[in-house]
Amino acid sequence: MKFNPVLNRRQWLRASACGFGALALQDLAYAAAGTLAERPPHFTPRAKRVIFLFMQGGPSQHDLFDPKPYIRSRHGEKIDSPLPKQLLQVGTEKFLALAEAAPVRPRGQSGVPMSDLLPHLSGVADDLCLLRGMSADNPQHAPAELQFHTGTQNDVRPSMGAWISYGLGSESRDLPSFVTIHPQADVRYYGSAFLPAAHQGTRLTVPLQPDQTPVENLRNASPNATIQRDRLELTQRLNRRLVDRLDGDQAMQGMIEAMELAFRMQRTAPEIVDLSRESKATLDLYGVGNRTTDRNGRACLLARRLSEAGVRFVQVTMGGWDHHGEIRSNIRRLCAETDQPAAALLKDLKSRGLLDDTLVLWSGEFGRTPWSQDLSGTAPIDTHGREHQPESFCAWMAGGGIRPGLTHGETDEMGYRVVAGRVHLHDLHATILHQLGLDHTRLTWRHMGRDYRLTDVYGEVVKEILA
Amino acid sequence: MRVLLFLTALLLISSTGMSTRRADAAPGAFEQKVLPLLRKRCYACHSHEGKLQGGLALDSRSGWQRGGDHGPAVKPGDVDGSLLIQAVRFRHAELRMPPSGRLPAAEIAVLEDWVRQGAPDPRVASAPAATGGVDLRRGKQFWAYRPVTQPAVPPVKNTTWPRDPTDRFILSKLENRGIPPAPDADRYTWLRRVSLDLTGLPPTPDAIQRYVSDQSPQADARVVDGLLNSTGFGERWARHWLDLTGYADQVGTSNDVFAEHAWRYRDYLIRAFNQDKPYDRLIREQVAGDLLPHKSAEERADNRVATGFLVLGDVEIVNPDKLKLETDHADQQVSKVSQAFLGQTVGCARCHDHKFDPIPQSDYYALAGIFKSTHSTHKIPYGIWSGINTVELPETSAQVTLRKGREAEHQRKLERLRQEHRETLGRQQTLTAQMSKASPGSADLKPQIDELAAKSRRLASELEHAEFFQPNSPRAFGVRDGEQTGDMRICIRGNPYALGPSVPRGFLRVASWGPSPPIPAGQSGRLQLADWLTDPRHPLTARVAVNRIWQKLFGEGLVRSVDYFGIRGEKPSHPELLDHLATRFMREGWSQKKLIRALVLSRTYRMSSKGSAESLVKDPENRLLSRMNRQRLDAEAIRDGLLVVSGELKGCDGGPGLPLEYLENTGGLKQSGVNPPNFRLSRFRPEQEFQRSVYLPVIRSSQPAPTRLRDVFDFTQPAQMAGRRPQTVVPTQALFLLNNGMVRSRAEGLAKSILSSPGETHDRLDALWLRVFNRPILAPERDEAAAFLERTRGDGGGSAAIPQASWVELAHALIESNEFLFRL
Repeated sequence: MKFNPVLNRRQWLRASACGFGALALQDLAYAAAGTLAERPPHFTPRAKRVIFLFMQGGPSQHDLFDPKPYIRSRHGEKIDSPLPKQLLQVGTEKFLALAEAAPVRPRGQSGVPMSDLLPHLSGVADDLCLLRGMSADNPQHAPAELQFHTGTQNDVRPSMGAWISYGLGSESRDLPSFVTIHPQADVRYYGSAFLPAAHQGTRLTVPLQPDQTPVENLRNASPNATIQRDRLELTQRLNRRLVDRLDGDQAMQGMIEAMELAFRMQRTAPEIVDLSRESKATLDLYGVGNRTTDRNGRACLLARRLSEAGVRFVQVTMGGWDHHGEIRSNIRRLCAETDQPAAALLKDLKSRGLLDDTLVLWSGEFGRTPWSQDLSGTAPIDTHGREHQPESFCAWMAGGGIRPGLTHGETDEMGYRVVAGRVHLHDLHATILHQLGLDHTRLTWRHMGRDYRLTDVYGEVVKEILA
Repeated sequence: MRVLLFLTALLLISSTGMSTRRADAAPGAFEQKVLPLLRKRCYACHSHEGKLQGGLALDSRSGWQRGGDHGPAVKPGDVDGSLLIQAVRFRHAELRMPPSGRLPAAEIAVLEDWVRQGAPDPRVASAPAATGGVDLRRGKQFWAYRPVTQPAVPPVKNTTWPRDPTDRFILSKLENRGIPPAPDADRYTWLRRVSLDLTGLPPTPDAIQRYVSDQSPQADARVVDGLLNSTGFGERWARHWLDLTGYADQVGTSNDVFAEHAWRYRDYLIRAFNQDKPYDRLIREQVAGDLLPHKSAEERADNRVATGFLVLGDVEIVNPDKLKLETDHADQQVSKVSQAFLGQTVGCARCHDHKFDPIPQSDYYALAGIFKSTHSTHKIPYGIWSGINTVELPETSAQVTLRKGREAEHQRKLERLRQEHRETLGRQQTLTAQMSKASPGSADLKPQIDELAAKSRRLASELEHAEFFQPNSPRAFGVRDGEQTGDMRICIRGNPYALGPSVPRGFLRVASWGPSPPIPAGQSGRLQLADWLTDPRHPLTARVAVNRIWQKLFGEGLVRSVDYFGIRGEKPSHPELLDHLATRFMREGWSQKKLIRALVLSRTYRMSSKGSAESLVKDPENRLLSRMNRQRLDAEAIRDGLLVVSGELKGCDGGPGLPLEYLENTGGLKQSGVNPPNFRLSRFRPEQEFQRSVYLPVIRSSQPAPTRLRDVFDFTQPAQMAGRRPQTVVPTQALFLLNNGMVRSRAEGLAKSILSSPGETHDRLDALWLRVFNRPILAPERDEAAAFLERTRGDGGGSAAIPQASWVELAHALIESNEFLFRL
């Protein structure tokens, strides 16, 4: 189906509903009805929705965006450790400088630096804003990822997407406000914690194997649909009789409706991930069908479709960046898998006029060290990897009122500490909320007597990167 | 030029120490250069109009004189010694200001000059203090901190309704509001309710028949005593307690490190609840079990295992900064003890005085010092990891004998493996040598060699596994007093590297009746803390405990915020009843079973969940309890209930939930390397499918397949401590009931079981209804069900018996319905 600019988004969605599985998403969002009603922001927003491309594992900023001449000049030689005494790292005791895996050059008109390993993103460098002064607080995956998603390093707090869903509701009545594609591990990353459950992320899998379904428990347990329908009708008759006997019950009534929706979803949910109506040009743009990029390409294309249809917060997780060893070959592979889909997403959003009010974020939970890591202690330098580094790393943002073509922030000559333009995770969260028209100090929820917020007691909007 | 001369003059004066005059002397320079700079670069975060980050105000002279968390910001005349200058030079270890990046050199020079000149600042307005004190005397007036009273049981008009004093407290309020209590629930409903609440399991058909046919006045009490004395009671109520501990079979969250001894704490709790260990004793063991006297090896072992309470939460173990790590652990323990036992959010006072509760920061550090003096974790030889402290458990002589036997057998197994491994390697080498000498064309030995190589690899991992998991003397996760005990210094804003004054160890003053006792040298203070927590004069402990029990039985607490009895928490709906129960609880030896028994035998608990029209209008939230609150079964009760209904439930004596005996479930076991030994759960013991949920492993990062329903049905995430679970309704739950393989298996088991006993269709329908809904089938239901069976048999009727497949569908319809899913 061709996009008709005359139709507004909701009309389009309705028109294409059967081809898009909107009904299924509507069902997922259903229980939410009142909770997900659209709410006005605190002030005029620059962005209406967010797409977060999560590079799980911690991509190396030294190889991709921010190499240091000093490190290059000392490649394979010992450098002075800037680590405070109380910090321990393993396999880095020799502190050998490790030069970047491939040349990093200024790209486009703006000169945003990018590696030769990212040819597609290099082509859209003028559309994005590179943050070189990112910083976080924990050097381990689990707490760092938790902090990235929820603002806290342990405990159970609402995730970014849940907060945004709570702040703004769903842009469309027919859709959930928070979808997370291919989430890994911890449910807290897309959980709603003490916020109403309707704000939790809806998990989606892009099925690549015949035995996979986009959401869990979708395959009919009965021999066929007729029998299942028959069975459900009996269940519902029992349910209704019970509710009548009790003179009504809200939770039970909710369950009756949820059962009906679940039944429908078995048919409609697969349509969500059905890309057969996309043009060949679009599929090619994302690298769908190409073995290296197929999975991420489908996920990014799906992210665009969901955003276009009004989902507030879409997250796509692309893991595998945890390169403790053999970083030179490993990062090449990861770039090949992610570069084209991510760049395609920006191009596609832009050509559809969606980039103006869609904020795209690309980041890992932290970066990696400029010195090498070698767990064996005997491997040659070119096969070394890098250790985690939350002190400084790179991320990029695009669209949604972020100044394009800007390189913001600077690290010291070693690439360890931020010396200018520091953007802490809390600042990043504050800035994302700000672009959505939400004041991070006012978006609060009272829990156990205290008003909680995504940024806890921290966070400053990074004004310098706003268009 | 004039300015410069003036400044030179000032420099000369500065050596005379006349700082005040000097400071007043150069208003021009300050206002022209320094003040605009402060405004532009610093005020956003350090002024009364902006924020007071780090407690520092730069919009007045007194602001920088007093300074922030780190002390005075400027030492007039001392450029290098002034924090402000260190911060803008980016030389200070932590303070680098402004955070957005270093100032231009010229601006830094302006500030340096200003300080060098003695920091003249003509501004006189002094800012108010950044924090106010905590008024403990006023705080003690709050209901929760007042002593527990023994209120008179109120009079009621309808004297035939009450059975227990509890009922009088409830009825008296209802009568005042003119709301009649709901009629009694029928016997079937009450039995299902009390069975689920006490054991988490629905009643069996036998139990139902027994109760329904028992017309004696003691019938109810007999049921309740039976339930309280069944192991199911401990299995249910221990799980409630685990919700307050963050329990998992995993250490922290990173890298799937197995907590191989965690199950001992879970089993200890189940035993303790089943033995009705007095609640005060339960607290003492969990806080200070290692320090308690003991009469037997079993008692000593229990005491030590109990302290697992303090270390089995989401304990971070991979922070390379060990000081921060240990401070965070103490913080977690302060929060856990104060939330679980006292319903307080003391953790808020880590960085500042509590914002609304009367808990000053010094009280936090008084408690934190106790846990800082306790050994909970230690650096381990794997990478940057820490491990949870383990303690050896004493054994009885019988246990020793058993263990020796196991050890000997294990040694024989090891020997066998080693020998087989050696032989395999030997044969492999021989054949390899043969092949290299053999002439071309002779028999190809390669497949044989490959086979041997694969075998020796397998044997090597079996050997590694067997060497790792030796039947050693039993250990548990637990704590002991640290080598270094002593008071703790306040960490400014929670930062362990910015230390304030030392605080003597002690307890929350607002909830104390006298000064905290001194802690003898060399002790952590946990024993004294346990004494304070369990003192009958404590205003919180008993109230919080009885309220938690009430919530589990009635759906809502008398104080609905069960984990938070602070100023912003909810007020009790029946404060007198709460105190009555708290007093009674303590008087009856802190017996949880006695309290539970009295409550479930009360008239209040007996009420139907169907309220009168009047009650729904006058008290829609049912705060006054004119009817029973309905509840959706929690995740465990759904899964366990399905197993009871299908007749497949298997008993379990506890033990490790993680099946680490399977090679495929362990990751690296090497005793060297970067990461500690870890697991990757892919295979369960066959019997685990049929055991109660409390015995299944709890994994923080994800729920493994057989336990997926935990996440779907509102399980308390094991990184969290929460006394009350939410009850959501979302379509993923409906999908789960509709299609999940586990639900389907139970439907199949149920159908098979119903068909295994002889009888006509109508007998089987009776049996099915009694099993799933625990009540007799109604006439229209029988007709519907029979019609359903006919319709789905698919063979167009006929004389043959209804096929099992139809019964599976019918069974599935029942277990996915609300009447199974809710307790009325």
